This record gives sequence, structure tokens and C-alpha cells, in this order.
Amino acid sequence: MNALERMARSPIAALEFANIVLTERDAQIAVTPKDVVWTHRTTTLYRYRSTRRAYAVPVLLVFALINRPDIFDLRPGNSFVEFLLDEGYDVFLLDWGVPDEADADLGLEHYVCDEIPSALREVRRVSGQEEATLLGWCIGGTLSLLHCALDPSTTVRNLVLLTTPIDTTGSLYSTWVARDSFDVDRVADVYGAVPGRTVDWANKLMKPVTNYWTTYRRLWQQVLDGEARRDAYQAMAKWVADNPPFPGRAYREWITWMYKENRLVRGRMRLRERRADLSAVEQNVLVVTAGADHIAPREGTLPVLDQVGSADVTHLDRPGGHIGLMAGSKARKEVWPNIAEWLGERSDA
Amino acid sequence: MAEDRPSPEQEVRRLYEEAEARVGKAAERVVSRDSFGELLAMATENVVALTRMGFDAMDLVWSNLRLAGRRDITRLARQLGRTEDKLELVLQEVERLRDQFEREKKAAASAPAKADDAKPAAAKPATRGRSQRSST
Repeated sequence: MNALERMARSPIAALEFANIVLTERDAQIAVTPKDVVWTHRTTTLYRYRSTRRAYAVPVLLVFALINRPDIFDLRPGNSFVEFLLDEGYDVFLLDWGVPDEADADLGLEHYVCDEIPSALREVRRVSGQEEATLLGWCIGGTLSLLHCALDPSTTVRNLVLLTTPIDTTGSLYSTWVARDSFDVDRVADVYGAVPGRTVDWANKLMKPVTNYWTTYRRLWQQVLDGEARRDAYQAMAKWVADNPPFPGRAYREWITWMYKENRLVRGRMRLRERRADLSAVEQNVLVVTAGADHIAPREGTLPVLDQVGSADVTHLDRPGGHIGLMAGSKARKEVWPNIAEWLGERSDA
Repeated sequence: MAEDRPSPEQEVRRLYEEAEARVGKAAERVVSRDSFGELLAMATENVVALTRMGFDAMDLVWSNLRLAGRRDITRLARQLGRTEDKLELVLQEVERLRDQFEREKKAAASAPAKADDAKPAAAKPATRGRSQRSST
């Protein structure tokens, strides 16, 4: 296409570009059929429907508190859930829901000591299996790790940690929120539930040009070249823009304990009077890091490899960003099969 | 060979993308500075203070109109949440007792059969903690 043709196409491209951006909320995401197994407060446990379960040990997916877990099942053809079901796993998803001010008093202990154990209990009851795989992504990984560290009687056999923050020293978040002048108590007190948009704004501010300009410029270029992948763009854009509020107490604890005091890696994290001792984690552990992760940098995850007490620890380091690693175009061919292979050897075929 | 040479338009696009990448890197360096963190903390404090003023003003209006305000609704919702927590604990206790009852019933039913069986049970294979560490 020469410059003249490109110019002639511009008005149509502008219309298509606007249409893609304006209708992104209509994108169909998280459409794999599933059933509600259990609910409590804002939390819901789902089980995905499947006709071919080849592995006995079910997989429980746990996502972060700052975005919806729909990323596990982004869109047909690019869904980690769909992939696991095809591989023959019994897949459960723990959805934290959309908290509001009424949930301001929910702290990290609510998620680690109440919701994850309850979900595992329900998984055991519904699947009939004594043990399960706990797969946590981002903050969900940290919560899953804390659960295993705090509960020696847990039914978790395999623990998978995807781009999980462990040691926050030197991270960009630390530069922003670990300083004394960032008054996390005031933020949590005033909002009750910290608006998800605020957290999303901070995430995007880490790479301002990429997030606020390059994304749209690239889309425009693709539209102009007739190569725009509407479904892929809209699904990801819709997921990125869907930010549930962060319960005030959990936000205060997360920022203070993880960033201001860096308690987890120092062995000083305590929930309900119990110390989270990483050396007590004896599950089979898979740690997946992303080379270009700016939210949970690889260096901040690696300490977990030496701190857990498990004799079976595997580390996968792959190129990609915090989310792109698992939801990008290459994930289906590279990272997902690696995870499935590791799980397959530890899930009783 | 001339066909391999990029067109002026491709050249312009390449130069633009290079410039954009450089600006992007520069912006990332700016936001990672301590001084930017300080500005961000101050801006956050201002936004939070304004929000609090807004909330307080709204609450004052609602209470003077004798209507339920944000705090009243939150208080009610919290009470509902606490009730749900208690119900969940009761449910868990019921399920635990039911499981215990089932186990004891099964044990009672199989007790005579076990008494006849003098063979010791085989050791259960370990399911956790296989001895291997790897990194790829």
C-alpha cells in the first residue's frame, strides 16, 4: 500500500479504529462454561465443565486482588483454562469478586486463612480428591505461598507461582509506596475500598508512553495496514480496564508488609499470630518468571527458590511481561505446555 | 538490490518508532526517580484529602435530608457480611461433623473385616517432595 492509498484509507481506518476502541466493553471474555461451587462474601469458587478428565489432581487457579481472574480464560482460542481442560485437568477458579466499602475490613488473613482453605475444602469435597494443585498468579501467587507456609496440614500437593512478588527490594513500586511520605493509612481509611482505577493508573504509569500512547498507535497502524486483530485487542483491553477495588485493610497490609517492611522475604510476615515460614513449604513448587516483568521483576521472585523447604523446586524463566507471559500470543505454544508438562508428572494421570 | 532498500515511508516509520522507543525509555527513567515518587506521594495525599472533603459534604447533605448516607449503607452491609461469616463457619462445622460421622460409620462397618486381616498395610507412596531441583 503506497502513501496515497494509505491516505485514502485513513477516514475508513479512523472509523474502524474508533469502533474497536469504543466497543471494547462488548468483547466476550471468560466464556468457557463453568458452575458455581461455593460462595462467601464476594468470593466465588467455580468449576469448569469438562468431559475428559485425565489427571486426578484438580487445579485451583488464584488470581490477584487488583484485576479480575478472567485473564485465565481470556477468549476462545487463547484461554489457559481451555488449554488445561483440553489437557485433561479438572479446573477450579477462585474469583475474589468486586469488593466495596463494606469489605474494607477484609485483610490479607481473610484471603489466606479463610478463603483459600475454604476453597480447597470445597475442591476436595466436589472432586473427591484429597490433594490439589494451587496455581497463583501475581498477588494470587503470594497469597497461595502464604497459605502453604502457614498451614502445614494443607491439601496442596503442587504449588505453581506465576510472576509472583516475594522480595520487593529495589522495585519501582517500592520507590513509589515504600517512602514515609506515602501515607497508606490515610488512603485506606478515606476510600475504604481503594478504587481499582487508581491501582490501574499506577500500573500504567510505570511505562507511561507504552501504555498511554504506543498501544493505541500500534492499533492505529494495524488498522491502517488492514491487520488489526479486533478480538485479541478488545479482549485484552476489556480485561485491563476491569479493575475491582482493593479492600482497604488488605491494601494497607499489602503495601506496608510487602513494600514498606518487606516482611515476607525477611521471614517476618505474621497472619493470625502465626509466622509465615517459607521453609515450611514442602509442596512441589514451580516458579515461573518473566524476563521483562516490571510489576513483579524476576529478581524479586527468585529468593523464593532458596527459601522454600521443598525438595522439588523448578524454575522456568521465559521472555515476556507480567501479563504477556501467560496471555500473550506466544503463551499457548511456549509457557502453557511447559506448565502442563510439569503438572502432568505430578498430577496422577 | 534497489528493491531491498526500504521505501521513504518505511524509513519514516522506522525513525518514528525509534524516537518513540527512546521517549518511552526516558519516561520510564523519569518515573523511577525518587523525586517522582515524592511528587506522586504528594499528589496522592491531595487527591485523598479532596475525596474526604467530598465524602464528608455528601454525608452532611444526606443526613440533613434524613436519607441513608454512604456510612449507613456501609454499616448495614458490614453487618450482613458478619452474619454471612458466621453462617459459613456453621456450615463448615456441619460438614466437618457429617464427614466425621461418615468416617466413623465406615470404620464401624469395616472393623470386623479388618480384624480378620492380619497383613500390615503397605506404606503409602510419597506424593510430595520428590528430590529434584531444576532451573531452565
